[in-house]
Amino acid sequence: MATGSVEIVYRGVFQKTLAKNICRGIVFAARKQGKVGIAFSRYSDSPERNGIPAKQFAVVADTDEEMEEYLSRYEPDSNDVTIVADDTLCKGIESWAWNGLQPVNRMLKAGGTLLVTSTRSANSLIRDIHRKGEPFNLAVVKGRASFSGMWVYRDDHTDMRLLGALAKVAPHIVTLDSIVAAINEPKKNDLKAASAKQAYDLVASTTVGANQGNDTVPFRFDLPGWRKMEECLVVGARKVKQEVPGWDGGYVPGRNPTYKKFTTRTLRPVINFDTCTKCTICWMQCPDTAFDITPDGYYDANMEACCGCGICEAVCPVANCVTMVNEEAFTDNQSQWRMWAKDKKTYAAWRVERISLPAVRSHGFQHLGQYAEEIANERR
Amino acid sequence: MSAVDTAIPTPKKSPLDVVIAPRTENEELISGSEAIAHAVRLANVDVITAYPIRPYDTVMQYVSKMIADGDFDCEFIVAESEHSQFEIVKHASAVGARVFAGSSGVGWFYAFEALAVTAGLRLPMVAMVGNRALDDPGAFGVEHNDALAVRDLGWMLCWVSTAQEALDTALIAYRVAEDPRIFLPCAISCDGAFLTHSQSIVKVPSQAMVDSFLPRYDRGDKRLHPDNPITIAPQVNEDWLMEMRRQSDEAARRASDVLIEAYRDFNAKFGRGGEPFIERYMMDDAEVALVGMGTMAMPVKVAVRKMREQGKKVGFVRVRWFRPFPTRELQDALADVHAVGVIDRDFSFGSAFFSGVLANELRSALYPAKKKNQPKILSFIAGLGGREVSTGNVMKMTKTVFDAANGVGTDAQDTYWIGARE
Amino acid sequence: MQEAKEQASARDFTSPQVLEPWTGIKKVAHEEYYTSGHRTCQGCESAQMMRLLAKAAGPRTIVVGATGCMYVANTTYYSTPWVLPWMHTQLGSAGSAATGTAAGLRALMRKGKMDKEPINVIAVCGDGGGADMGLSAISAALQHTQYNLLVMLYDNESYANTDIQISGSSPYGVNTSFSPPGKLHRIMHKHWKKNTAPMLAVGHPDCRYVATVVASNAVDTLNKVRRALSIGGPTFLHSLNPCPKGWDYDPKYSQQIGELAVETGIWPLYEIEDRKLKMYGKSQHIASGVVKRKPVSEYLLRQGRFAHFTQEDIARVQARTDEMWEKWFLPGVIALSGA
Repeated sequence: MATGSVEIVYRGVFQKTLAKNICRGIVFAARKQGKVGIAFSRYSDSPERNGIPAKQFAVVADTDEEMEEYLSRYEPDSNDVTIVADDTLCKGIESWAWNGLQPVNRMLKAGGTLLVTSTRSANSLIRDIHRKGEPFNLAVVKGRASFSGMWVYRDDHTDMRLLGALAKVAPHIVTLDSIVAAINEPKKNDLKAASAKQAYDLVASTTVGANQGNDTVPFRFDLPGWRKMEECLVVGARKVKQEVPGWDGGYVPGRNPTYKKFTTRTLRPVINFDTCTKCTICWMQCPDTAFDITPDGYYDANMEACCGCGICEAVCPVANCVTMVNEEAFTDNQSQWRMWAKDKKTYAAWRVERISLPAVRSHGFQHLGQYAEEIANERR
Repeated sequence: MSAVDTAIPTPKKSPLDVVIAPRTENEELISGSEAIAHAVRLANVDVITAYPIRPYDTVMQYVSKMIADGDFDCEFIVAESEHSQFEIVKHASAVGARVFAGSSGVGWFYAFEALAVTAGLRLPMVAMVGNRALDDPGAFGVEHNDALAVRDLGWMLCWVSTAQEALDTALIAYRVAEDPRIFLPCAISCDGAFLTHSQSIVKVPSQAMVDSFLPRYDRGDKRLHPDNPITIAPQVNEDWLMEMRRQSDEAARRASDVLIEAYRDFNAKFGRGGEPFIERYMMDDAEVALVGMGTMAMPVKVAVRKMREQGKKVGFVRVRWFRPFPTRELQDALADVHAVGVIDRDFSFGSAFFSGVLANELRSALYPAKKKNQPKILSFIAGLGGREVSTGNVMKMTKTVFDAANGVGTDAQDTYWIGARE
Repeated sequence: MQEAKEQASARDFTSPQVLEPWTGIKKVAHEEYYTSGHRTCQGCESAQMMRLLAKAAGPRTIVVGATGCMYVANTTYYSTPWVLPWMHTQLGSAGSAATGTAAGLRALMRKGKMDKEPINVIAVCGDGGGADMGLSAISAALQHTQYNLLVMLYDNESYANTDIQISGSSPYGVNTSFSPPGKLHRIMHKHWKKNTAPMLAVGHPDCRYVATVVASNAVDTLNKVRRALSIGGPTFLHSLNPCPKGWDYDPKYSQQIGELAVETGIWPLYEIEDRKLKMYGKSQHIASGVVKRKPVSEYLLRQGRFAHFTQEDIARVQARTDEMWEKWFLPGVIALSGA
């Protein structure tokens, strides 16, 4: 194969610079090997929104003609490597309305490699990744997802480590030597080169068999044709209220069926209904109208609608009543209130187990010097 | 929506059932602008927005006086710019109001964004364009480039040549634009000065006559209202836009049939109106033809009569509707002529053969007709900035067309500037 | 009798709806008229503002929205989170859209072509659409005293939907795509934020209600919306909406950043009803001297968009903020000096 492509799936805005740096590294490394390379971000993701899954691509070819042939498609639909810059994306991605829930490995070719940054084991990730008809490889670069904001970059070498690991899993696209040469231009940087080399040495790859992994069927939509679409640019409005069985006396707002937004979430609120005072503030301050009002007047964060911003935790006046917990602790979107209402003791145990997981993840800038402090802590 | 038929119907040569209806009409001496003001009153328009610019704004003077005198009830808003002027009526139309606005020259261009979205939204606004040359330099006289600029957007576009036709066409425009099969905006172009400011005798119909012709605007389930909660114009990407464009294309295709229906009914009820798309003048045995739009018709018809007296077999086709473009009608009308001279009161700098807009469009429409007879097509740029096109000018142009027909000394694709000082 | 009924009904639709204030957070209606499934950023306060706006206005309302995040993110792609009837309008057209919608309804009701009832008409626009491009149309709308309409400017201090460029409403020195700090120029944006709400209030004496709001203060925001819709005629609300993306802060702090904007005195909360100014909330405490303003550094240093600021820049912003409260003719509101 004379062309190779790498898809980078990442968290919009938070990892935009990271993805761009990886693309840049791939293209310059390819140049070092006398190949041609280009990089681009998916136009429909733009403007990126914080946390919403986005994609960039880097394509490498031996000749301009081969490159042209590859790019005659709108979006590469078959990639040698899919880099997953945040492991919570393994649950699938819904980038915009009508896209449905797309498995993270959807655009990965048979025998290709899913390269994930994670502190989790490969087996634990396979639990989340939707099964595929053909086998593929799963490689893990150990580490937390690196999140920055729009203006200040968290330069923790995650980009360099992913480049080094890429050279290991896909040497036909870029070699370690070319990656190191690219890193050292225009200015030599031994530390960054060392990060790439270390990741090259450490990354381990396992094979995921055909039909191994998450066997839930992702939701999807069929786009209507022009004869079926409403004329005059009209779409129907949402309903003011949903009727939900077992929810009499409560209130569940109407929600958008074609865009659910929950794949934006990296953390979810876990609520202690035993200490909740029903003060309403979490519900009132939620920009995503994620809270359902329960029949007994509690506020239950609906996991199909919550995008994990964390405002509810920040505004809750009761200590430890709302705790943001890493998505890896969950395998479904079930109602916490229903679980609690059914069996309070079991729920309490479940909750304590969940909140014991470290949720450390900064979604962007919190104060000056924070990234440097965090990187220093992680090194220790 | 009605069943979709993508085929363009072939019109009959005379599609009209001419039945004279009982009429009660007053004759008044009025300008084209005032005639349109009467049409707007008779159409019981709900929201009108004005902004001053010559020469269209005379219509708003008449409208505001009618309102002041209690002859007419509507919301009349003087906007703070043409952009707002057209945005206001656009939104009024979305909630189900019948609307009217208008502009001229660069004013029409200041509103251009609003004009584009009005067509995109399929809102049946009716607008008057008092045709005016575009700045710079500032000039008040007529050129057609202002209105023509919207020709690709989904606007229906027509040119009228008399005050009577202005009034009648405005009523027809509301009926067709607001037809649920269409829902497209319509601009009625009136040549600045020649039509907007000159007065002639016009039959102003009674309210009852108009009511029998023009139904109420009913936006149905596209109406923006708390009882019909919808979102209008959500953002789309490449997954959706092509289908939406195709829907507008279909509406524009359907417009021809609906126009024919409307003219048939108008002729029946008012005893006038004529053929929907084009006016044929002395075309029966014509060997060459002139083609033009708007008030150009007057000097051309005079010249044609004079030349006929001299035994020259020349005819004239006046294009009334530019959008939808009367492709089949023009193919039919020009089937037997050897050469056509298209007189454009506009320009299209750098276009094919440097021709006028109508000439280029006509060439394109006649291209498939070559199996039978493809006439030579000459383009004349004349009357820019409101300069007079004299009968002498027309006779000179006709001579050039005859020469082309006879293969004498001219390249059929040439473009000639008429009356410009060398 | 019938005639009297018709007259009463005619008065009905020309009067605004009566929306009583909600007397506390627990009295706030549950119903949502702008709901989940918009494609905004995590922690988007503009989306939260839309939610509060729709909730406060209730079901008999039409909303028109100018191009901006609250268009593109909300209805991406061929989809909607709106329960209320909603329509897009062009970037500079919020004022015109409100006017046209209100005019259309009024004409149709007066002429008996539509059932008579007061319907709220609200236009929303961002700071690009409102404080820049659409200013003249909003100004015109505020002169149309015959129409009951509300224009809400949701201000995230940049053209956020095009990936964060400076607008007339951006604060001094801010990092945006068009004002990046560089090697030669640390500060590329040297304008002070346009003072839009007082400009509109002072310039349109027939506009009965202008107020500033912030989503972090939810109940007050809801009630300001309800007041603006109930008082009649054209009204204007200017909301400050912290933008986690463009301002570069962790989305969980959206509410805190909004509160800090008020507590530092950078975003004063006030309403001007029938030309009478009233500060409210924490701004009233600041104005009356009950609490001291927090230093602006507490606000600036929480946001990546000011990460390039030096102590000198912070001092400059502090000095201008002090001036607002200590030197202005109407402290925090009108930038004229009193004689």
